[in-house]
Amino acid sequence: MTGKSIYAIAKKEFLDNYRNKWIIAITIIFLILTLVISYFGVLGSNGWTDLTGTISGMMALVQYLVPIIALMLGYASIVGEKEKGSLSLLLSYPIKRGEVIAGKFIGLGSVLAVSILIGFGGAGLIIALNVSGIQWGEYLIFIVSAILLGLAYISLAMLFSTICNKRSTALGGSIFLWFLFSMIWGIILVGIVIANYGIDAISNEDWVAPTWLYVFSMINPISSFQLLVALNISSVSTGIPGSFPTFYTTPIIATILFLWIVIPLIAAYVLFQRKDL
Amino acid sequence: MDIIETRGLTKQYGDVVAIKDLSLQVKKGEIFSLLGPNGAGKTTIIKALLGLIVPTSGQTFIMGHNVQEEGKLARKYVGYLPEVVSFYDNLTALQTLSFYAELQGGNVQENQGLLREVGLGDHATRKVGGYSKGMTQRLGIAQAMIGKPPVLILDEPTSGLDPRGAWEIRKKIRELNREGITIFLSSHILSEVQEVSHRVGILHHGTLMALDTVEKLSKKLDLQPKLQIELQEVKSNIVSHIKKIKGVRDAKIRDNLLEVQCDPRVKAQIITALEEIEVGITNFTTVEPSLEEVFLKYTEE
Repeated sequence: MTGKSIYAIAKKEFLDNYRNKWIIAITIIFLILTLVISYFGVLGSNGWTDLTGTISGMMALVQYLVPIIALMLGYASIVGEKEKGSLSLLLSYPIKRGEVIAGKFIGLGSVLAVSILIGFGGAGLIIALNVSGIQWGEYLIFIVSAILLGLAYISLAMLFSTICNKRSTALGGSIFLWFLFSMIWGIILVGIVIANYGIDAISNEDWVAPTWLYVFSMINPISSFQLLVALNISSVSTGIPGSFPTFYTTPIIATILFLWIVIPLIAAYVLFQRKDL
Repeated sequence: MDIIETRGLTKQYGDVVAIKDLSLQVKKGEIFSLLGPNGAGKTTIIKALLGLIVPTSGQTFIMGHNVQEEGKLARKYVGYLPEVVSFYDNLTALQTLSFYAELQGGNVQENQGLLREVGLGDHATRKVGGYSKGMTQRLGIAQAMIGKPPVLILDEPTSGLDPRGAWEIRKKIRELNREGITIFLSSHILSEVQEVSHRVGILHHGTLMALDTVEKLSKKLDLQPKLQIELQEVKSNIVSHIKKIKGVRDAKIRDNLLEVQCDPRVKAQIITALEEIEVGITNFTTVEPSLEEVFLKYTEE
């Protein structure tokens, strides 16, 4: 692989999203929503909340919206070009398929990273002008975690885009993926708990959850994001009950999120390598 | 050294054999045409040459480089025009060429010249999403020429173009060949292949039926165009009258349609002959020999 081809593809993906105003739209959405949450977020009080308080309010926003935007950016990246016919021409150039995957991931990842950085960062600056005692370190951890979550979903979307032969199937797969991690995952875990320990287990505060429940909660990318923020910013709570087990540490959670980025991308590369156009 | 080579190339899609044990070589400076109807496997061969599909067995080579093993290197020598050309709608022609030039390692400064060369000089800063079919095809030729590759692979380069557009493309192909570029193209039109190429491979259901120079092929086929004349009225003496003309091989009437097989040079005489016996003509067309007739000739042997 050479950097030159990867750079050319990445640059094109980035400029595409700049030209069609996507990147600007996403940035503005992030900026405005952050400001709204900071100003109106705390019930019964109008006025600026400090950054740490704002992060708590933004957790829901990030865990629902960032995956949706990432999936939208990535689901058509390969299959869209295949359906149009431009992929054959692209691959007739002296380029490796791995370079196409890498370039597209870097380009799309940059679009999301730049939007989050400018959107959240810009909002953070405005908030900082209005409140005192700003915790920039915590805010930065939050921004980086949000970017990692977005990259994981871009990677997953690109995997679907490589597997599917139709744009519409890839879109369907992406929508399913969103529901899987945002809704279905939790429901299934609760269902298994009820089946094994009875309905009382959930409401009983003294019930000690088994280790597997903590493991399966942790490996959901949405939970990984929540945990990564919660482990580093004490004011943020997750939906996971009880006290955290000892293996809930920043390095382990960060590794899981990192694997969510790398494994789908490698799978996409392997499948793309053998794909007939 | 062969510029293009396939060795025992076979491609199967499930139970369907698209290409069966195909071996062919193309020499430097040749214009080689693959002739065959849709579905004969022309595009499959081209895609295998470029590494766009993975062969079931066999190999393809460009300038001696195994495409399956060192595809990136092999593709450096090739310009490709797909059967259906598709670009990125929101890029201008110049931006499109710049993107491909970056991948090819071509000189971005030459892009404006390339666009002028294919007659798109005035549309360089227009978005290609708004281009007509003909303009898109010409931009396709321009991108294939980026970095002056020694080999051009053109998949049905004139399909979907009007006669003038097709003529321009054929002219361009000959020009490029005179500059020393080896050209590999596919077509389903016999006359086009006869006009433009040096050597022809006739493809039928994924196998090469014949591989010959154009001269030998034309001589062997000896197929003449057919004249179809729509008559206002049918008279009993028409056929005998037409058959008297030297150069007419056969003539027959079906309903009010007169079909004449003849030397193309006596077309005018036939029209005059019909006027002599006062038969009015509503329409007339020349029908090129069909590929089916070509296949029939070869399978008869």
